[in-house]
Amino acid sequence: MLIQQLANGVVLGSTYALISIGLTILFGILNIINLAHGEIYMLGAFVAYFLVTLWEVNFFVAFLVATVAMGILGVLVERTVFRPLRDKEEINYFIVSVGLLIFLENLALLFWGTEPRSMGLPYASQTVKIGQVIVTVQRLYTVVIAVGIIFGLHFYIKHSRMGKAMRAMEQDREGALTVGVGIDEISSFTFALGSALAGAAGALMGSLFIVNPMMGFTPLLKAFVIVIFGGLGSVLGAIVGGLILGMTEVLGAAYVSSAYQDAFAFIILILVLSFKPTGLFGKR
Amino acid sequence: MNSKKFWLWLAVGVLLIFLPFLLKDYPLHLVNISGIWIILALSVGLLQGYVGEISMGHAAFYGIGAYASVLLTMKGGLPFWVSLPLSALVTMGFGFLIGLVSLRLRGPYFAICTLGFGEIIRLIFVNWREVSGGPDGITGIPAPDAIGALAFTSKQANYFLIYGCVLLTIFVMYRLIHSRPGKAFMSVREDMIYAECIGINAMKYKRLAFTVSTFFAGIGGCLYAHYEHFISPYSFTVGQSFDLVTMVIIGGMGTLVGPIIGAILLTLIPELLHAIKDFRMVIYGLMLMLVIIYLPHGLVGIGQWISGRSSKS
Repeated sequence: MLIQQLANGVVLGSTYALISIGLTILFGILNIINLAHGEIYMLGAFVAYFLVTLWEVNFFVAFLVATVAMGILGVLVERTVFRPLRDKEEINYFIVSVGLLIFLENLALLFWGTEPRSMGLPYASQTVKIGQVIVTVQRLYTVVIAVGIIFGLHFYIKHSRMGKAMRAMEQDREGALTVGVGIDEISSFTFALGSALAGAAGALMGSLFIVNPMMGFTPLLKAFVIVIFGGLGSVLGAIVGGLILGMTEVLGAAYVSSAYQDAFAFIILILVLSFKPTGLFGKR
Repeated sequence: MNSKKFWLWLAVGVLLIFLPFLLKDYPLHLVNISGIWIILALSVGLLQGYVGEISMGHAAFYGIGAYASVLLTMKGGLPFWVSLPLSALVTMGFGFLIGLVSLRLRGPYFAICTLGFGEIIRLIFVNWREVSGGPDGITGIPAPDAIGALAFTSKQANYFLIYGCVLLTIFVMYRLIHSRPGKAFMSVREDMIYAECIGINAMKYKRLAFTVSTFFAGIGGCLYAHYEHFISPYSFTVGQSFDLVTMVIIGGMGTLVGPIIGAILLTLIPELLHAIKDFRMVIYGLMLMLVIIYLPHGLVGIGQWISGRSSKS
């Protein structure tokens, strides 16, 4: 029973990690807190949902399309909403993202209503047994894809030219600008990457649970808790934090109270802020 | 005060006194609801405009005020006039405790933290059925007790009660802002480290502002509960918290007039333009983005710009 719960925690935690990495790189590299990140996650889930149900596309193709589409949306959002505020106070980024959140969520509500939708994938009901643990095939795919993305991202940021430029920007903004790192290029690319990760997480979660326009908000809040818990701007922190929160929620729901499952994140937040405000892997 | 200004204020005052007798039932109801939102928007505006911290969980304090007063009057048997200040004090107590934790953070992190607290409190409203009535809420909340012959069952009487509280809120905030603490708030907003260097205890003043702000949110909640006679957790969600932030930003941060204009505008616009009622929130989101990008001082900023130009020419 306990091992089963831990396995469920890993599934939840790996998707939380994907959303949180997107949020944390936007903060680490551009100093932007994007509250609309959860809405991009929601839109990613809807893109995958419509591809799978209306056009009967294979889930993996739908997943890829959703990820790429959200990456493109990320670039658009950066150009239209965030770029005009670049030289103003940083809190403006945050407020504008609240506006974007309200706008996107309610636009989605207007089009698609509140009814819960399910992708109804065939793998969602097939199960496999690994040792004592029983998981559905879809959940297994989810974990494998999420872990694959996380490792791929790690190598990309470590070795590619763009990844190096991003890290340079994170370590010393002015230094990076001096040696010719283009801020427009980096901003667009970081948004594309972060939003693509959110879209990927949305498509994966949408395949396991229901899809509706309000689905983005709670994961967003949790992603924030994870980012603060793991340390602001830390990718490793987002991964570890995501897994810990996933476990805590599943175990808390099983052994403490399921009505308050969504509250555990905030209890962790309050404890972290009270005892170690810099988070697990935070620099400041 | 010059005589022109005096006559203007007198006219506004007279209009406000006779307004409830000129309006029909439903418009008056909207005016009353606007009054409650004015109190709430001022409460958020104190933090947002003067201390520079955005509270995104204020609907929770509004809710605590409402639930506290309902419990005090319906279960505790207290008269409304005792429960009004008492429920505000209860809210303030919660505000103080939550401020202790959340004010350690600044900017967006403070906002997220208050959002988190707001969600926890909303979950408690939904799940603690014995006390809060769960998702169904509480019905049959009594109107404020009559004073002599003056019963608070009519919309007119409630107008005077609500706008009395609005005036009180404006008065207290005005006095606070134009006193030493107010100057301290603004210095913390402009540069917290500098403020601390010249001997201002930033944390103390941030706590003060947050506690005062939650006190008035509690007043708003109490008034709402006894005016609508019904409360449920759906009136105190993140959506309402976002509405408040939007009101302050669209009206104009760092002024008292701004939140008032924002509150009136956002309450009345959807009623006046029925066509947009369905996509009200879409438009709010769009407005919020446009105002931040193009009009950082809100509508008050336009007013100042116009008066600045006319006084130059």
